[in-house]
Amino acid sequence: MKDNGYISKRKFMEELSRYRKGSVSRRHFLGVTGLGTATLVLGTAVPGLRPRPARADSHIGDRVVLATWPNYHDTANFDMFTDATGAFVQVNVFGSNEEMLAKLQAGGSGWDVFVPTNYTITTYVSEDLIEPLDVSKLQSYDAKAFEPRFSDAGTVDGTLYAVPKNWGTTGFAVNTAHDGGKALTSWKDFFDRTTDDFSGRTMVHDYQLTTIGNALKYFGYSFNSVNEAELAEAERLLIEVKPHLFAISSDYQPAMRSGDAWLTMCWTGDGKQLNSDIPEIEYVLGREGGEIWSDYYAIPKGAPHREAAYALINHMLDPQVNAREVQAHGYPVADANTNALLPEEILNDPILYPAQELLDALEFGAAATLTDPNRAELLARFKSA
Amino acid sequence: MRIYAVCVYLFLYTPIAIIALFSFNAGRHASQLQGFSVQWYARAFKNPFVMDALETSLFVAFVSATLASILGTLAAVGLQNIRGPARAVFDGVIYIAIMIPGIVIGIATLIALVTVFDVLNPLLASLWFEGGQPPRLSMGIGSLIAAHTMFTMALVIVIVRARLAGMEKVLTEASADLYATPLGTFRQVTLPLIAPAILAGFLLSFTFSFDDFIIAFFVAGSETTLPIYVFSSIRRGVTPEINAIGTMVMVASLLLLIIAQLILRRRPRS
Amino acid sequence: MTRSERNWLLVAPAAAWFVVMLVLPLSVIFVFSFGERGPAGGYVPAFTLEQYANLPARFTAFKNTMILAPVGTIAAMLIAYPLAYQLAVRTDPKWKTILLVLVIVPFWTSILIRSYAWIFILGGRGLPALLEMVGIEGVRLIYTPFAVLIGIIYGYLPLMVFPIYVSLDRLDKRLLEASADLGAKPLRTFLTVTLPLSIPGVATGCMLVFILLMGEFLIPALLGGGKVFFVGNALVDLFLQSRNWAFGSAVAFTLIVIMLVTVTVYMRVIARLQSGRDDVSIM
Repeated sequence: MKDNGYISKRKFMEELSRYRKGSVSRRHFLGVTGLGTATLVLGTAVPGLRPRPARADSHIGDRVVLATWPNYHDTANFDMFTDATGAFVQVNVFGSNEEMLAKLQAGGSGWDVFVPTNYTITTYVSEDLIEPLDVSKLQSYDAKAFEPRFSDAGTVDGTLYAVPKNWGTTGFAVNTAHDGGKALTSWKDFFDRTTDDFSGRTMVHDYQLTTIGNALKYFGYSFNSVNEAELAEAERLLIEVKPHLFAISSDYQPAMRSGDAWLTMCWTGDGKQLNSDIPEIEYVLGREGGEIWSDYYAIPKGAPHREAAYALINHMLDPQVNAREVQAHGYPVADANTNALLPEEILNDPILYPAQELLDALEFGAAATLTDPNRAELLARFKSA
Repeated sequence: MRIYAVCVYLFLYTPIAIIALFSFNAGRHASQLQGFSVQWYARAFKNPFVMDALETSLFVAFVSATLASILGTLAAVGLQNIRGPARAVFDGVIYIAIMIPGIVIGIATLIALVTVFDVLNPLLASLWFEGGQPPRLSMGIGSLIAAHTMFTMALVIVIVRARLAGMEKVLTEASADLYATPLGTFRQVTLPLIAPAILAGFLLSFTFSFDDFIIAFFVAGSETTLPIYVFSSIRRGVTPEINAIGTMVMVASLLLLIIAQLILRRRPRS
Repeated sequence: MTRSERNWLLVAPAAAWFVVMLVLPLSVIFVFSFGERGPAGGYVPAFTLEQYANLPARFTAFKNTMILAPVGTIAAMLIAYPLAYQLAVRTDPKWKTILLVLVIVPFWTSILIRSYAWIFILGGRGLPALLEMVGIEGVRLIYTPFAVLIGIIYGYLPLMVFPIYVSLDRLDKRLLEASADLGAKPLRTFLTVTLPLSIPGVATGCMLVFILLMGEFLIPALLGGGKVFFVGNALVDLFLQSRNWAFGSAVAFTLIVIMLVTVTVYMRVIARLQSGRDDVSIM
């Protein structure tokens, strides 16, 4: 993008404001706007304009390791971070919170920043795996701008441990080219049609919370149920459906895009990404309900590059950067400052902002659901059945 | 018959060809060709994480293969003259070391070391001198080398022992009769004879360690080896960068092999 | 220093290494397998047989492994044998080395990357699309036991070709000529001369592949779509998802016992078949 030579007026102003706020380095700003060449020519004549030799932010080191979810970032934002600070971002992608927790519990994960979901944070705190955040190092974090229901899980017992990234819902994506004119609108449809005209074409998540939770919704039970009798019913349903599944995986985009899979449990942003590229693929929230969630940025205990971790979180929370993220991945944010920068069509998108009556039926995941041994074992039984 | 062989080679090489082909893809996706480009090779070289992972992998493979070759050879030589129950126990341990799946070694090592470190770390801290920063034991390059050495050492012992067994006992006895010291006998007689086996053991150990994913996945802590990097990249959606890395590793090993062949062939002539 | 002290000194470092890195971890697994899962995962000390009682919950994983490991081994052997035979007996010595090396070269690309290539080949836009062009529709390959079998054969073929090749290559070609001169038909020569002499190679290859398959995790994970579950996958799941160290230890320990028993029995049988010959080289 640097050698484009051309930059729109709006983009220029955007970059200028970011440079002023210090979220990009001078070098990056000059490079992007094409002013670099001009400065170089002038610089020889005007001593005051000669570029400073050292980068302002170089004290944070040359790398930062981020543990996150699939299809969840605009890589251009990482490139900008690298240009601005000299630190490369290593992205480790995970399939579930359980997996992140297991890796942190085993120790020595090497991560600097990770992206826990609302219901996991109290467990990280009680297991002493998460670092309290120093807000003074996060200038772009404007706590008051965030909707509380998507940001309050970051604070445990009055201490701030995590700042909100995105929120979203867990519904399903369906390729309507194959639904024979009969739309799917509920989790009942999801599982019933899997054994019928979607046989061999359905994917479910590879972790317990949503796969079991949505099977519970089939019977109208709570998404978070830990009741043994209700779980037993969910297990029976899952095992009955299993021979009809295409795969059990949380990375469903490739199979949906290639046409191998037609129906999958799906998060907001993946639904948006699929729908934008392939309009026949629609994102549906089960009528019975399901999950609403909020993801956070946090720093694990013993992060090897803590300064870089703060710098990265600060960079990602910058409303300009965050707005670009939303446009790239299609997950809504609860930040009014970011929303102010987003175009109208995104703020009115029914995939990102579903109708109120559908939202009302959704539940946040609970900490007890994550740690419940029966649910963990149930999913393991289902997978090995 | 010949057609059959051609088919098997096709089977073996189609995936390799696809990997190499997509490494020159101009586009971002690993499933659609969008023109020719070598940008992914450049990116792989510029990516500090790839280079670090490669360095870690080479270091771990070299150190563990060296340790395994030395300790394994010593043990094989020593074991030659040990008999009785002690020998039976040792043989049993080697047998188990080779038999146990990598995944069990990885998991068992992880939970054992984590448990031991949990006990040792507070102990170290309490015994450490006043005001100093006590060392903290944790999973990392040390545990990775230790685990790889354990497994590959068993391989070296088996390989070297097979060679020793085929060796004429008369030779070492003759050497002893000529009043050579045991060390002299070892250096002048035994070592040259078992050298090819040690070399084979070293190469096998190196290859195993360099390519191992499953043990490293559990015991490497925060260290990233090349296979671990590849694994986490695959989950992120493969870009042709991974194909470029795979192609380069394969070409590099082929070159090494050809060079080794040339050196080995030239030696008798000179 | 006496002779025996010296021998022990040579063995000591290796022995110490095995104690710390093998005996200790296995003992820990053994102890943990009688414990319980902690409230947030992990392990709490206890003495209970509950974990072993719960083993039937992983019956399918054990069953899949116990079926697909031998099937994969035999399939790899059936494919490898003719190739090894062709290379060892029918190929011009000039080409032997290079053709043999070509069998191993794919082995040097990470199994991860190679399996990923198979996901592409077996996926909807790969082989099934080609089959569709010739009129065979609705074939689904990826994420099936068949895909896992292909991955297994592909991954372990070189390990099988090598030992078989070595045993066939050692075979004295004059024996074959003599057999032909005595009027034996090629098939008879093969059955009475070649095949028996190549048994040690076949036995070695089968054991190598079988051992590796029993602990396989990656190939079913990548090509089985989470549906074709091996014991290895069950183990990874127990440690990385449900964080049940106690039950995971019990499953791991059971796998070890099954393997040791199977392989020991196998070696006994092979040794008996081979009794009287001195060229048995299983390990």
